[in-house]
Amino acid sequence: MKKMILCILFVFLLSGAAEWAEAAADKRLESVMSRWTRKEFYAEKDTQGGLEIEITLYSAEYVEALIEAEAEKNLWTADEKEQYKYQLLKTLNLEEYVPFHFSFNNNGPSMHMAPFDKMVNLWLGKNKYAPADYDKRFNFKLQGRRDGMVWFPRYDEKTGKSLLDGVRTIKLDVSGAISPFLSNKLSVSFLWDIDKDNPGKLYAGRAASRLELDRLIKRIEKLTAEKKDLEDKLNEVNNELLTVNKRVEELQKQ
Amino acid sequence: MKKILALVAVIALVAFAAPAFAAANPFMDVPMNHWAYDAIGQLAARGVLSGYPDGTYKGNQPMTRYEVASAVARALAVVDMTKASKQDVEMLKKLVVEFKDELDALGVKVDKLDSRVAVLEEGVGGWKLTGEFRFDSRTTDNDNSTLYGVNNKWDQNTTRVRLHFYKQISDGVSFYGRFHGAGGDSPKWTRAYVDVDLPWEMHLRAGRQSIDWEDALYWVPFGTWQTDGLLTDRDGLEAFYLTKNFSMGQFGLYASRKDSAEEVTNPADKDYTGIKEHWEYAARFVFNFNEQFSLMAGYQMIDFENEEPGNTKDNDFATWYVEPQVKFSENFILKGAYYSQDTEHFGDKVVGASDDPSAWRAIFEVKQEALKFTSLWLEYNQVDAGFVTPNKETYKFIANVYDYAPLYRNYGYGDFMQIQNDADIWRIGAFQKWSDKWDTFLHYAKFDIDGMSPRTNGGSLVDNDADNYSIGFNYHYTPAVTFSLAYDKFDSDIEKYDDDMIHFRTRVVF
Repeated sequence: MKKMILCILFVFLLSGAAEWAEAAADKRLESVMSRWTRKEFYAEKDTQGGLEIEITLYSAEYVEALIEAEAEKNLWTADEKEQYKYQLLKTLNLEEYVPFHFSFNNNGPSMHMAPFDKMVNLWLGKNKYAPADYDKRFNFKLQGRRDGMVWFPRYDEKTGKSLLDGVRTIKLDVSGAISPFLSNKLSVSFLWDIDKDNPGKLYAGRAASRLELDRLIKRIEKLTAEKKDLEDKLNEVNNELLTVNKRVEELQKQ
Repeated sequence: MKKILALVAVIALVAFAAPAFAAANPFMDVPMNHWAYDAIGQLAARGVLSGYPDGTYKGNQPMTRYEVASAVARALAVVDMTKASKQDVEMLKKLVVEFKDELDALGVKVDKLDSRVAVLEEGVGGWKLTGEFRFDSRTTDNDNSTLYGVNNKWDQNTTRVRLHFYKQISDGVSFYGRFHGAGGDSPKWTRAYVDVDLPWEMHLRAGRQSIDWEDALYWVPFGTWQTDGLLTDRDGLEAFYLTKNFSMGQFGLYASRKDSAEEVTNPADKDYTGIKEHWEYAARFVFNFNEQFSLMAGYQMIDFENEEPGNTKDNDFATWYVEPQVKFSENFILKGAYYSQDTEHFGDKVVGASDDPSAWRAIFEVKQEALKFTSLWLEYNQVDAGFVTPNKETYKFIANVYDYAPLYRNYGYGDFMQIQNDADIWRIGAFQKWSDKWDTFLHYAKFDIDGMSPRTNGGSLVDNDADNYSIGFNYHYTPAVTFSLAYDKFDSDIEKYDDDMIHFRTRVVF
């Protein structure tokens, strides 16, 4: 009987410990994810309601925690988790862009944010960048909730160098023109210390290999196209050279 | 769905601005005497509506979301962008948003539609109009008190309407105007300015505007009532405001000229009579060291003119201030401000006040995400007697604390007020968002004010501390309609100021 009670107690403790560990893990993931989320509430004096802006930077650490959280929540197998990771990374396109998730909750006068790419800017070092792409629904009049993605360039178009190299803190400016609640601020800013990003295993595993494969295939396609262009150009030059030589020969014969 | 069909038909018809002729209706089941006969005929002729393979339109059948989405897509494809009105464009945009998923599923490139809609919007002038309406009902306990701005026991005549106008004039140039009408006052433009982007990340805002550099120091979750800045919360200021942005900071300065509508009359000292016009200059630099630490430093000068013959004094005063902020995490924030003022040339000072009064404020903010059930705002203020604030609404929450004589002295220069006695002010706020519909708040403020100066109290010092309690909630019936109910109590050592109020507000925005 004593053994049985001990056994039950042990199972109970074990289940409690497991639950505690799970809660702690959830809390840890939640804490990591909240570190990359900025949430501010804006209201104008003497006016009810307000505007809540929530912006999440999809840093490597955030993405990693998001994958873990989804896997734990849905009890995924390792394969399912890898598949999700692959899909997520492909959608986010972290290889080309710096993605943000924007969420507006507006209980104030309607917001007009069109053209949205003129309303937000990202400071990377000393330079300011407009979005490369964004959810076009932000261009429409807004009351209530709306959320969507906004992508900023990660690489310099000309040099191909990462714009984040050497940058410790990035600043996202949102224009005050988007809402009367922000009109006395010119703009509002959100900051992230990206030097604290700690990606760990994000770029490891099968999903990462598949992504790299995708990237390499894209690179092959691009290089093949470039090669074709160059070959066409070379053919053109050869043809012109032939024509010129032919004409020179004709002239020499005269 | 039938309603939506009618909506699409109407929009499409209006947006096309088609010549007024009746198109032949190709659907055999639409009777010629039906009200929508012509409309359907025109839409069919333009390819917006298509019937069933058997040649029928089946107008009595409910329409699926996919069918509506399809009609919207076709309407957008053929819409006459030069003739569409603002309302048409708004309705089309709403439809595109509403049916985005279906349009995506149908393989319609919503992005292209969106850019087309944006072009449409440009084409109709680009004016963006929004507005708000509110109606207040308030009842107080004390007829004599002015703390709640209610003269009678029951007041329900406080209606306010605001219209906001915004237009992007050209690339980098925009206009914003706010037309405001409240109570019995004449409606007026309380804000009207032009924004101009200048080279080198500079920006100019010129016109009647609101400038507020201390907004991080206000408790705003319950937007209706809140404390205001000591220095730079300046609304309706006619100013040139120039800023220069840096990657991690911003430099700003403004200059404003105020020509008071009324003469200042100061019975205590005739030398100040007639002084009204003044210049206001201010500059600040804010720098973010990283996501955790930022520092703002600023300077403000109020420069009164002294034009009346015989006047020997002026009323200039200047203030330096710093505002540091530390974010321990996103949910735990410590911030504050220190102000040092030079009032050497400020005439008719509070008796016993020094020429360099100071003030400081420290705030510890905990967001709801940290405690899960509520947010917290803990604030402590200390202000020296004689400190002059160009904003009379400072320390207002629901009660109009500037009408509480032991704290403030109305100097007679419009919004300019002077702290009457050394004061310590505590504020505690708790705001809880229960859902998108409901939020509630609790607020407590304690005004610990040194004895009233003998000059203003018949030669004797008296205790005049006060407490202010508030409780209330907002119900967002929809994002556009909010109902609020609040109870506020002001409890003072001076009996005549004791009062409480119940406030019910209806607010609609569009």
